[in-house]
Amino acid sequence: MSFARTFLIYFTIAFMIVLPVHAKDVVLKEPPKSLDQFYPPHSKQPKWTQQMHKLSNHFGGVFINLKEKDFENVDKHADKLVEEYKKTSEMVPEWEEYFDLKAAEAFAAAAKTHDMKKAGKASGDLGKTCGKCHAEHQISVWTKYHWPSFHKIKVTDPSSEKEVEFDKFMKQISGSFKSMRVNFGEGQYDRAAKALKAFKSEYMELKSTCSKCHTNDDVKRFYVGGDAETAFQGLAKELNAEKPDPGNFWKNVGLVGKTGCKNCHLTHRTYSKIKEIWEEK
Amino acid sequence: MNLFTRLLNLLIALGCFAIAGIALAYFFINEKFEWIPEPILELAREKDLLEKPEAKRCADCHKDIYDAWKKSRHSISWTSKTYIEASENRTKEKCLACHIPESVKGEKPSPRLDRRDEGIYCVSCHFVDGKMNGPYDLVAPPHPTYRNPEYVRSGFCGSCHQKTFKEWKATKEEDTCQDCHMPRTQARLTQKFGLNLLHKKKGVGNHRFLHGEISEKDILMEASFQDNYFNISLLNKTVPHGVPTADNGDPRLYLYFTFYNSEGEEVDRAKEILAPQQDTALPFNKKVNFRYRLFDPINRVSVVLKYQPAWSKEKELVWEKTVQP
Ligand code: HEC
Ligand code: HEC
Ligand code: HEC
Ligand code: HEC
Ligand code: HEC
Ligand code: HEC
Ligand code: HEC
Ligand code: HEC
Repeated sequence: MSFARTFLIYFTIAFMIVLPVHAKDVVLKEPPKSLDQFYPPHSKQPKWTQQMHKLSNHFGGVFINLKEKDFENVDKHADKLVEEYKKTSEMVPEWEEYFDLKAAEAFAAAAKTHDMKKAGKASGDLGKTCGKCHAEHQISVWTKYHWPSFHKIKVTDPSSEKEVEFDKFMKQISGSFKSMRVNFGEGQYDRAAKALKAFKSEYMELKSTCSKCHTNDDVKRFYVGGDAETAFQGLAKELNAEKPDPGNFWKNVGLVGKTGCKNCHLTHRTYSKIKEIWEEK
Repeated sequence: MNLFTRLLNLLIALGCFAIAGIALAYFFINEKFEWIPEPILELAREKDLLEKPEAKRCADCHKDIYDAWKKSRHSISWTSKTYIEASENRTKEKCLACHIPESVKGEKPSPRLDRRDEGIYCVSCHFVDGKMNGPYDLVAPPHPTYRNPEYVRSGFCGSCHQKTFKEWKATKEEDTCQDCHMPRTQARLTQKFGLNLLHKKKGVGNHRFLHGEISEKDILMEASFQDNYFNISLLNKTVPHGVPTADNGDPRLYLYFTFYNSEGEEVDRAKEILAPQQDTALPFNKKVNFRYRLFDPINRVSVVLKYQPAWSKEKELVWEKTVQP
């Protein structure tokens, strides 16, 4: 693909996705059930996404060929766009009214005059139909069909060696973390040291979950990587010292809490939360 | 000459011709196959072999290799229960590339759409550019072949075993993955009657892709008591990659300690998880140290090492030792 072509395609995509939305409230509606059939596990391929690529290729194809004055292909893409647009409008009954077949046909007719200006003008009405649906549904679709679910992930509890649900494990880890802090606050350093051991082995167990979703080990530099390791070493040093230094202890507690728990929650929990609501029956 | 002797002579002559013919064929097939004209080979070709058939079809001739492969983890990379669980019922697209590869070519493969239940099968590993790629320069009448030296190099396995390959490379050891996991024996590549006589024996790599065993010869232990501490070190002496090693699986070694006093009563316990996913696997030829504070006087420590493969929830005993001060 030439640079100009690639650029044009991305430009059209960006144009359509960034169409302005005026309301400031964000509403995430659960995607209609009938969309399920176009995504794994119900279909092998994410068919809806593929259908979108077709629309976008034919839409972009019209303009690229107009520019190249390859009119035979302009006509082909215009016809295909109408055909695929119509096909898409029949895929999800709940979404039928987002489509405007007349706008698609009008755009095709304008494109076939081979006049760039006319085609550009007619594309606006069609483009709006794409933009409206994207504004209202794209994020929900990402969340529902592209985000894997933490609720299906099991973690091995390092102490009992039994598998537990992810959210149960989070509660457990949160408990060990607290137990260490509370004991330290009370000056019970031996108990705090014991709690640290349990807490650390539980925390490191989280490292075994990343590869259930990520295929690149580099992500482990975050949340469970060097920063966490340093903080745990700092905690251990204080708890094994003759006279622990509270300043250092709390600094390291903060480090685990911030670069570990908090940051991981910020990247992963939003989606998990939304999915949880939709998965509740 | 009577009829009988005539017939006998004729038969002997025919027999000689046949033997000469077979010998000639044997000679050409094994020694001078580049002399066999392409049109003659075309006659022997079985076209469907180039249409990515299931593994069972290759078994028509390569029966022994098929039987070994069938017992390997590669044949169940898509149907494995633990994989299905970890990949959220196989819906995670990121996971497809190595578990149902289209074609292996020294880099991360792309996933295929058909015959997914075959997992990593013959066609994935051998069918490239319309030919059966393999380690040998040979002639196979039923299908075209191509000698590709990568087949005996670790990089081939590294297409998917990327992390293990990196670990192996860093050790600079010479033994390849195939040397240990596909050891060769002299045998026939095919078992189909006729073919097996015409092609001479060669080294055949074990397609069971051996899952290496480990014992106290591989993982050495040293231990000592010092002041209030118990020190222990483990050394992976023989395996030129982490033990355990993994890409997306989660195999583990569990190291258990039980501390006893002079009355034989248990006074404390400890445990370590040695897992590649947690960056705690035992690297090749490098000691790993552990240290435990002793709160009570200790008379004996029992040390147990257990192994849990990526695809199992059961642990196997590797060794068990007792240490005394
Ligand atoms: C009825 C709703 C709807 C309409 C109408 C619609 N889309 Fe989409 N589109 C979506 C959804 C939902 C997604 C998100 C799909 C996903 O990520 O799997 C999407 C995603 C896309 C993407 C991004 C695909 C990707 O790989 O992330 C493109 C490009 C696209 N649409 C083009 C178009 C074009 C061009 C039109 C109009 C001709 C159009 N869409 C009309 C719902 C719609
Ligand atoms: C349930 C699935 C799941 C698990 C488990 C998971 N993640 Fe993620 N994570 C995601 C998804 C989905 C994204 C969004 C982008 C992507 O796919 O990379 C993401 C994004 C990220 C990002 C930012 C974007 C990027 O890819 O660099 C980081 C860093 C990250 N995860 C680290 C981790 C670490 C570290 C762990 C293990 C402690 C982990 N994740 C466990 C699903 C998961
Ligand atoms: C892998 C990244 C990750 C790390 C690191 C992490 N968490 Fe979480 N945590 C999550 C996700 C994802 C959820 C939501 C789980 C769900 O929706 O089932 C969660 C949920 C929780 C919950 C709510 C559990 C419930 O269902 O009530 C608590 C409490 C929690 N985490 C505490 C912590 C603490 C404390 C730490 C640090 C010591 C921590 N987490 C580290 C990802 C992480
Ligand atoms: C780069 C290639 C590659 C990708 C991509 C990949 N795997 Fe694997 N997987 C392997 C290799 C190689 C092994 C064998 C070594 C091991 O145990 O990790 C394996 C083994 C496994 C195992 C242990 C064996 C079994 O059947 O239980 C599981 C589970 C697994 N993978 C899950 C996944 C999941 C989930 C994903 C997607 C998040 C994934 N894999 C993506 C290469 C890959
Ligand atoms: C009709 C019999 C037959 C079938 C079926 C067959 N092969 Fe072969 N194959 C042979 C013969 C004969 C040889 C050469 C044996 C020899 O020289 O010892 C061979 C050799 C090979 C080699 C070695 C190539 C090299 O250069 O090292 C590979 C790899 C191979 N076959 C793969 C396959 C695969 C994969 C299939 C299934 C798609 C298959 N074969 C099906 C007969 C067959
Ligand atoms: C197409 C990707 C791919 C290639 C190429 C590949 N493997 Fe694998 N291998 C895997 C996957 C995926 C698994 C895990 C299968 C499972 O258990 O579900 C695996 C499993 C294994 C296992 C079993 C591990 C265990 O835990 O028991 C061994 C041994 C192995 N491979 C060795 C090799 C060797 C040696 C080579 C090179 C000759 C090789 N593999 C080439 C993907 C590949
Ligand atoms: C994971 C990849 C992989 C899979 C799956 C696989 N092979 Fe191989 N095959 C190899 C490698 C690597 C070699 C070279 C081994 C050697 O000789 O050291 C090889 C060698 C061969 C050879 C030449 C003889 C030999 O061992 O060198 C034949 C024939 C062959 N394979 C047939 C098959 C058939 C038939 C199947 C399916 C039943 C199959 N292979 C599945 C990787 C694979
Ligand atoms: C010197 C022999 C040797 C070589 C060379 C070797 N391995 Fe191993 N491998 C072993 C032994 C022994 C084991 C069993 C110990 C273990 O579990 O790690 C093993 C285990 C494995 C496992 C099972 C995972 C596990 O640890 O539970 C995989 C996968 C594997 N090797 C892949 C490879 C790959 C890929 C290469 C080449 C880059 C390779 N091996 C090179 C001897 C070897």
